[in-house]
Amino acid sequence: MQFLENSGRYLPLLLQGVGITIALTLAALVISTLLGLVWALMRYSGIAPLVFVSKAIVNTVRGIPILVQLFYIYFVLPEFGIDLSAFQAGALGLGLAYSCYMAENFRAGLEAIDKGQIEAAQSIGMKWSLMMRRVILPQAIRTVLPPYGNTMIMLLKDTSQASVITVAELTMRGKLVASSTFDNMTVYTLVALLYLALSVPLVILASYLERRFGAR
Amino acid sequence: MIQLDNVHKKFGNLEVLKGIDGEIRQGEVVCLIGASGSGKSTLLRCINGLESYEEGQITIDGKLVDRKDPSIRALRTSVTMVFQRFNLFPHRTALENVTEGPIYVKGEARREAEEHGRELLDRMGLGAKAETYPTSLSGGQQQRVAIARALAMRPKAILFDEPTSALDPELVGEVLGAMRDLANDGMTMLVVTHEMAFAREVGDRVLFMDGGLIVEEGPAERVLTDPQEDRTRDFLRRVLNK
Ligand SMILES: Nc1ncnc2c1ncn2[C@@H]1O[C@H](COP(=O)(O)OP(=O)(O)OP(=O)(O)O)[C@@H](O)[C@H]1O
Ligand SMILES: [Mg+2]
Repeated sequence: MQFLENSGRYLPLLLQGVGITIALTLAALVISTLLGLVWALMRYSGIAPLVFVSKAIVNTVRGIPILVQLFYIYFVLPEFGIDLSAFQAGALGLGLAYSCYMAENFRAGLEAIDKGQIEAAQSIGMKWSLMMRRVILPQAIRTVLPPYGNTMIMLLKDTSQASVITVAELTMRGKLVASSTFDNMTVYTLVALLYLALSVPLVILASYLERRFGAR
Repeated sequence: MIQLDNVHKKFGNLEVLKGIDGEIRQGEVVCLIGASGSGKSTLLRCINGLESYEEGQITIDGKLVDRKDPSIRALRTSVTMVFQRFNLFPHRTALENVTEGPIYVKGEARREAEEHGRELLDRMGLGAKAETYPTSLSGGQQQRVAIARALAMRPKAILFDEPTSALDPELVGEVLGAMRDLANDGMTMLVVTHEMAFAREVGDRVLFMDGGLIVEEGPAERVLTDPQEDRTRDFLRRVLNK
């Protein structure tokens, strides 16, 4: 009873955090998907300088903890005149970090496609961009989607790391409420349940994608 | 119409084409025969600009084939290619495979392209399969869709790279039949094949390749029944006794 009563008091504050967590997940998802696609296409192009740059970026970013990347973007970039809000820095940092997972996934999808498809597309006069759009990407999507669902779940949970640069997302709010009420048990149980509630739809989506496209 | 002048091609240190000369004239059916590894596919791929060549030149109606130049795309629509393993787009129906190039490369109106596409599928005996996906078609049917796809570009010539080698024996006939009809309609064709009966019946000329060179060429009947070169004779003896 006590739990429910306290929950009622904490929930409005925590729900504001849920809103920011969702916004941050979506923003980082868009950034990481677009950047990931760029890295993967650069790599797939076979053009040496593009391949090199893509590999260099992916390997550098993958080798640095997300926390450190977030600190860097939020605290170091301002010294170069790039001033971002905590939310912007969080979205950019998570987007960049996740673009590398995305890139690897997209690359695997692209490379799984039979080289004969490229030749068939070229032999009817397609240029590269048309071939990617009409022939390669529509086929790559089948292999790319199942892991994509799982990456979304990981990203959702990793948004909690943005609390270290003061983004007022769910984990951050939880910490604030807990430290002012000393009711750790109720607060963190609620926080955990809220994350679970957010990820359940994604888990269902991921297993749907797995079933729809995975087998084959 | 297709002119080859002293074409050389290397893969690393391996010289695969060692100076190919020749000409394919308008309306002619030329069959290219030769042992595995002699460079037949490589030659076709060079003509289609899928492979670059280091020396000599290939021209199509006087236009230089240069894989690195944007003009290559127009040349590819005027000389298209049919592959050993069909290479149909698996996510598109038979009709969509055929109309893809006309609509998206040549910018034809969808209705016209579909009308033409259906005509071509009909001509290939596949009128009833227009809405079928490649995975539900037999190998012979897939290859005939691939031929329709090549024809849909309204090409001046078609290159065939062993179009029946990936097929079960009982499906070879239907594809060769479709190719014979094309030849009778006056299509210019360069065909890499191991089907000697087809080469003899449909081919106007035969080129025999060995070790990256055209060793012998002449009227199909003559080269296949009365070869002048020892290497041609050996090759023919080996294929015909198989
Ligand atoms: N992309 C490549 N890289 C390196 N070597 C290659 C490549 N493609 C072909 N070759 C080599 O070039 C030679 C000629 O190959 P090609 O495919 O043109 O022969 P082919 O006459 O078509 O033979 P087949 O009858 O087996 O199809 C072979 O020795 C082959 O191993
Ligand atoms: Mg070959």
